[in-house]
Amino acid sequence: MTTNSRFHWWTSLALLGAGALLALVFCGRRTGLAVRARGSGEDNILRVAYTQDLRPDPHEWSLPLPTYNHFMLSLWEPLVECDLATGQPQPAAAESWELSSDGLTLTLKLRPDGRWSNGDRVTAGDFVRGWRRLLRRNIDVAQTLFFLKNAEAFNQGRIKDPLAVGVQAVDDLTLRVELAQARTNVVAELANPLLVPLHASTEGVLAEASYYRAPERLHTNGPFRLVAADADGYRMEPSEYFHGRGGIRLAGVRFVRADSFWLARLMVAAGVIDLVSPALNPLDRPLPTHRSIARKHELVLGVSSLDFNVTRGPLRDLRVRRALALALNRTETIRQFGQGRLVPAWSWVPGMPGREGLNLLYEDAAEARRLLADAGYPGGRGFPVLNMALTIQSKSDPFPSAWTESWFQLLGIRTHISYEPMDLLARRLTAGDYDVLYGALLATVPDAADMMSGFLWPQEYSNTKWNDKEMICLLNQANAKTGAERAAILEQAERRLVAALPTVPVTFTRREALMASEVQGWYQDPLGRQSIEHLWLAQSPAATLSPEPKL
Amino acid sequence: MIDGHASVRIPFWRNPRAWLLLWAAATAGLVAVLIWDAWPWLHGVPQAAFRYTKLNRWPIECLWWLLLPVVFVLQSNLTMVDRRWPWTLALHGLMAVIVTALFIALAGVRMLVANHLPAEFLPAVISDLRALGGWSYTPALIYLLLIFALYAVSFYREWRAGQRLTSELQVANAQLETRLVRASLDALKMQLHPHFLFNTLNSITGLIRKGRTREAEDVVAGLGELLRRSLEHRQEAMETLGEGLVFLRRYFDIECIRFQDRLKVEYDIEPKCLRALVPSLVLQPLVENAMKHGISKDANARLLRISAARDGTRLILTVYNDGPPLPKDDATLNNGIGVQNTTARLHMLYGDEARLRLRDQPPSGVRAEVILPFQTNTS
Repeated sequence: MTTNSRFHWWTSLALLGAGALLALVFCGRRTGLAVRARGSGEDNILRVAYTQDLRPDPHEWSLPLPTYNHFMLSLWEPLVECDLATGQPQPAAAESWELSSDGLTLTLKLRPDGRWSNGDRVTAGDFVRGWRRLLRRNIDVAQTLFFLKNAEAFNQGRIKDPLAVGVQAVDDLTLRVELAQARTNVVAELANPLLVPLHASTEGVLAEASYYRAPERLHTNGPFRLVAADADGYRMEPSEYFHGRGGIRLAGVRFVRADSFWLARLMVAAGVIDLVSPALNPLDRPLPTHRSIARKHELVLGVSSLDFNVTRGPLRDLRVRRALALALNRTETIRQFGQGRLVPAWSWVPGMPGREGLNLLYEDAAEARRLLADAGYPGGRGFPVLNMALTIQSKSDPFPSAWTESWFQLLGIRTHISYEPMDLLARRLTAGDYDVLYGALLATVPDAADMMSGFLWPQEYSNTKWNDKEMICLLNQANAKTGAERAAILEQAERRLVAALPTVPVTFTRREALMASEVQGWYQDPLGRQSIEHLWLAQSPAATLSPEPKL
Repeated sequence: MIDGHASVRIPFWRNPRAWLLLWAAATAGLVAVLIWDAWPWLHGVPQAAFRYTKLNRWPIECLWWLLLPVVFVLQSNLTMVDRRWPWTLALHGLMAVIVTALFIALAGVRMLVANHLPAEFLPAVISDLRALGGWSYTPALIYLLLIFALYAVSFYREWRAGQRLTSELQVANAQLETRLVRASLDALKMQLHPHFLFNTLNSITGLIRKGRTREAEDVVAGLGELLRRSLEHRQEAMETLGEGLVFLRRYFDIECIRFQDRLKVEYDIEPKCLRALVPSLVLQPLVENAMKHGISKDANARLLRISAARDGTRLILTVYNDGPPLPKDDATLNNGIGVQNTTARLHMLYGDEARLRLRDQPPSGVRAEVILPFQTNTS
């Protein structure tokens, strides 16, 4: 093989050897791999993957990813939690509450047995401390507390005195909340994992990150307490002082860092972790092991929509708006670009526990063309070019182009999409200088009313400028009711909204959780706030053979 | 040169061992930095993890650094087989594939370690990476570009070496040619001396036969002096005209004894020509020819005139005798050994810039003329 005295045989051999070794690695076995057995001390420990840096600081994160919710709600307990079936608040750290007749003052009574993980009592002052800390931070999610009186001004530095903010501890167990203005779901909003109390020592511990070497110094009031922390994850055990300690069936929880969702998928398959949510898995291929894996889905309580400025040009005409709503092809567009995470939206509110999604919309190109002709624009002739304003960050989003292309193909209506910096876009929105927006709404309370609350104050919160008195009346009526009566009024409001079509819902997001089949007690939560304390592991931690391991 | 063996000091930047040493030192430094950086992770410090180490964050840089000598050695070795270019291309192609595969495998290993996956998951990780479009083929491109650059440098160096070799060969050729010319001159001179010796010895014999022993002794003494000087100057191809004339005077001293009072030698030499460089003994064969075919053939002939003049850049040397005209036979005229030797010598030394003309000089006599470039030691 040697071609020259300087080209030694062992060079050829080394090259071929390296090539053969790499070929072995590349062509190695990829199915039927062994599942790693649980290590000693991992029995009944739920291992959860997270894919972005995570710190045990309730006021550091900005994206409400389910993993963050699970992590925070394992360590801390907010004042209330929401009944997923009704969307109504249920006692958590607070045992009762009372809203004043003017809807501007909320008084909450804390449960007397609320304890920190070191045994200290949870007081109203701890909540005040936590909320003020959130408001002092320069992060977007501080807006969560802007419903408090003077909170926005305090956050923006216009008010220096924290006592001016509308939250006070009347006594150890009484918290008084003063609102900037009346709100429909103010109590339910307190279930947000951001609005947790802070122990007096916590700010210092978080500032020094001393929980790494002394995790017991991080005092939390949730179902679990931190027992170990390192750069690869966190380990928690049930807090012996938690009021619901008796209901916790897990021996502990480990949050394990993964580099990406697809690697988390492999970690589940390998038996390294048990649960990943959301599982933004771009791969549709069999897992390399026979571990029995379950895929659980839930619709995110939010909607992506095409919002029409109903104060401008032809968009004032309902026939035009209906034509535009009918001239879409959601299913095909989602198939092309949805990556399995989107579903067509046929209503404004997605289906959620206790409330099925309504089927209010349909697609019909012929009907759309007829309506457009009736409105005086046959074949799109004479129809002005629509202006769709988007942020620069939306450039990589294929959907706006897909929707507008559909309008052009089916109706002959052209749309100019302008991608602009956020400040420029904000000025355009304030001035109403746009025809169409492509936006997304994400609810913070598991309640249909929260999805429609923007239409209560159309000038402030709705891009459509659709000011419908009947709609406002219906929403106000719903907020005054509970149970089935409330649900019926909300359905009526949603039907009215879809009939008027100031906005066209186009897609809902479907969230997937991937978990080993031994994980039990998982439930759907449209806000992704499943509480880990309600989960447990079946007594079959070893690999379970599955006849169809394909995911 | 330190001793008998050649020991040439190679500059640092041309010494591959020095570069290898430098690379090894830098690698040691790199390893030290990586270990220092990974130390907390290796010792289980809580805030430390593999994914935050430089080992995980500098994989491409580290691997390229480690591969660098391999690439150099391979390129250097394969350059030697460039006559078998399909083989070279195939090996470089294989190497590009291997390097790319190595980088992909390294990415897989990093993910494996950072995410606590078992080693047997490596093929699955690599396969998923491919499905996600995570295979980067940039290393192949970098490898081929690197190889291309190395080949370019290598070919440039070879071209430079070829240029140097060509120059050296040209110099060597010139030196060789000079040596050959010198050897030819020496050979020609060796042809002149026997000719002169033959005539002189004949003259001495004649004198002895005539009983002119005293004169014969003088001739022998003069001949001895001539031979001594001739031997002294044997290796010198050039001499000044003045030196040549001194030699000729000694010659004529001998010939005057042979021809008694019949020979009259005249010199018409411009003073500035005395320092002109001429081929040694260039006039000797012409003078001998004049004596042999002119003065000796006609009892009335007695004059032999030697002149030297400068004509611009040329030196004109003339040997005239008032003997009989040249014979009509061209073969005799041109093939005489003296004329041939002189013509050959002039051609070797001056090419077309010098010439020898032999012609009758009406009303009587023959004139031999040598024209050559006027040169001095200072020019």
